[in-house]
Amino acid sequence: MTDSLGMTGAAPPEALSVSGLSKSFGGLQAVRDASFAVAAGQVCALIGPNGAGKSTAVSLISGALRADSGRVRLHGADITGWAPDRIARAGLIRTYQLSREFGRLTVLENLMVTPVGQAGESLWNVFARPRQVRAEERRHLERALDVLATFGLHDLRDSYARELSGGQKRLLELARSVMAEPRVLLLDEPMAGVNPALIDRIGEHILRLADGGVTVLMVEHNLGVVERICDHVIVLAMGATLATGSMADLRANPAVVRAYLGGALSDSASG
Amino acid sequence: MQLAYYAITLAFFFFLYSILNWGLNLQFGRTGILNFAYIAFVAVGAYITGVLSLGKPIAGTGESYILGMTLPFPLPLIAGGLAASFLGLFIGLIAFRRLRSDYLAIVMISVSIVLYDIITNYTPLFDGADGLNGAPEPFAGALNLNPNSFLYVFTAFTGLVAAAMWWVMSRITRSPFDRTLRAIRDDPDVVRGLGKNVFGYQMASLLVGSFFAGIGGGLLMEFVGAFNTSAWTSGETFVIFAALIIGGLGNNVGAIAGSLAVPVIFVELPKFLPQLGGNPALIPEIDNMIIGILLIATLWFRPQGLIPERKTRFDRLLGPARRPTAPPPGPAGRRPATTARSGVEASGVEASGD
Repeated sequence: MTDSLGMTGAAPPEALSVSGLSKSFGGLQAVRDASFAVAAGQVCALIGPNGAGKSTAVSLISGALRADSGRVRLHGADITGWAPDRIARAGLIRTYQLSREFGRLTVLENLMVTPVGQAGESLWNVFARPRQVRAEERRHLERALDVLATFGLHDLRDSYARELSGGQKRLLELARSVMAEPRVLLLDEPMAGVNPALIDRIGEHILRLADGGVTVLMVEHNLGVVERICDHVIVLAMGATLATGSMADLRANPAVVRAYLGGALSDSASG
Repeated sequence: MQLAYYAITLAFFFFLYSILNWGLNLQFGRTGILNFAYIAFVAVGAYITGVLSLGKPIAGTGESYILGMTLPFPLPLIAGGLAASFLGLFIGLIAFRRLRSDYLAIVMISVSIVLYDIITNYTPLFDGADGLNGAPEPFAGALNLNPNSFLYVFTAFTGLVAAAMWWVMSRITRSPFDRTLRAIRDDPDVVRGLGKNVFGYQMASLLVGSFFAGIGGGLLMEFVGAFNTSAWTSGETFVIFAALIIGGLGNNVGAIAGSLAVPVIFVELPKFLPQLGGNPALIPEIDNMIIGILLIATLWFRPQGLIPERKTRFDRLLGPARRPTAPPPGPAGRRPATTARSGVEASGVEASGD
């Protein structure tokens, strides 16, 4: 967990890079000329005060919103302006600030529905190749049960997702993303509204995913968590990239400390 | 004799509305498409079946309609189903591109009204408000049926069609395809974010559901021998929606229950009752009131309907080799074997020492 990766921009290839990204809603410029990069295999945090444009940036990267200008690259491929489903198929999966589980599907179904291009998703196969559909269902089922076990949701597999607690929904959303086998995971405040114990567990899951080769970019407010699990931090303010680096770098950056994060940063530095 | 006639007519409408409910259940119950134009799809199926089975309009009678191809029996019916799907294709291409569910519902209402006005006023199409009459009775020639025995034979045939469509629909609603539809019903944006082509799935759901509507319309045309604009006012769509919600939205068996509970008992059955107080509209109006009250009572006391949507379980798919009772150890590995929901809550707390 050193901080050198993103700063040098050398050895590991960039999994995700954003350059000159801008987006306005009427008179409000939510993101202005933001540029940053995430190296492959990194756990990277996107921080900034409320209204800094973090969530808008996530929506722009994942294709939910269309950028006014700028470029987004995923493993070198220019994905600017692609539809969200196409970006997801290219290996970038996002989660949401507020959990968006499929409430009337069971926990298990929430995972089973995730793999793209299932044979049984085609009506033709449902009637013409039932055996193939069944065999594939069984494979997905085995995998879904494994993922659920990893996330401690195995016992809840037959509950409707809407019946879960807030923290369990957070875990489910992460489990669902894992089921999609992403190369890059975009997490929008994965720990929002979660108790401290669960925060640690979610942090462990994120680190484990990164060990497995997944690149993670996460919006996060909890700087303690960021310090512990993120290799690299990007600071957004007023929609623009203010600074990038490790938490240590940022603490040493007077512009960041004074102009923007002062209180929170010096607190965690002194503590 | 009279009673048998009533019974067989009710049986026909029971099969018919079951088919119609299954189609709407796929669209609305499983996919969340608020298709308020559903009855228009039924009508297109009926009209197309009619003009394909009828001969050319006879000069001098004032009748006018397109085609008049006198096709042999099953063809007009199948074409009616396909024509309804084609209408779905047309509407879906426009509506699903941009619109979300509530706006889509408004588009559907508009489509229904526009189609209704066009068909009522542009008489060369389906003879306007007069509609189609005298469609040939299927099997009547070949089996040498009289009008009475035709009812029996055709109702039995409709029962067979319903059985076949039940088989098809239950295959569909048990498939991974349907699981994706239900995910779209809950949150289309998230489904898109998982890499799926939501538009394609909504389209498939609309087309299959519309085919069911079209077949239903075609069967109605063949059974009654006539079809006109009074048969598909927007109130008819309401009856089908009410039947589905009361019977159990999202459940094909619920759709059957709803077919029995609403259209058969409260729309078709009272047609055999004698007039009340010299006002022919009185009984239908009372029916409408009762359906409205039933709907409100259902939404109030049993919103999931008589036979609610079933939960999907996978235990059988796994087989005895791996019963999902003992979870394989996760990386944490030390989570105690807990049972039920509270277990996971507790395990979240236990992890606090990490």
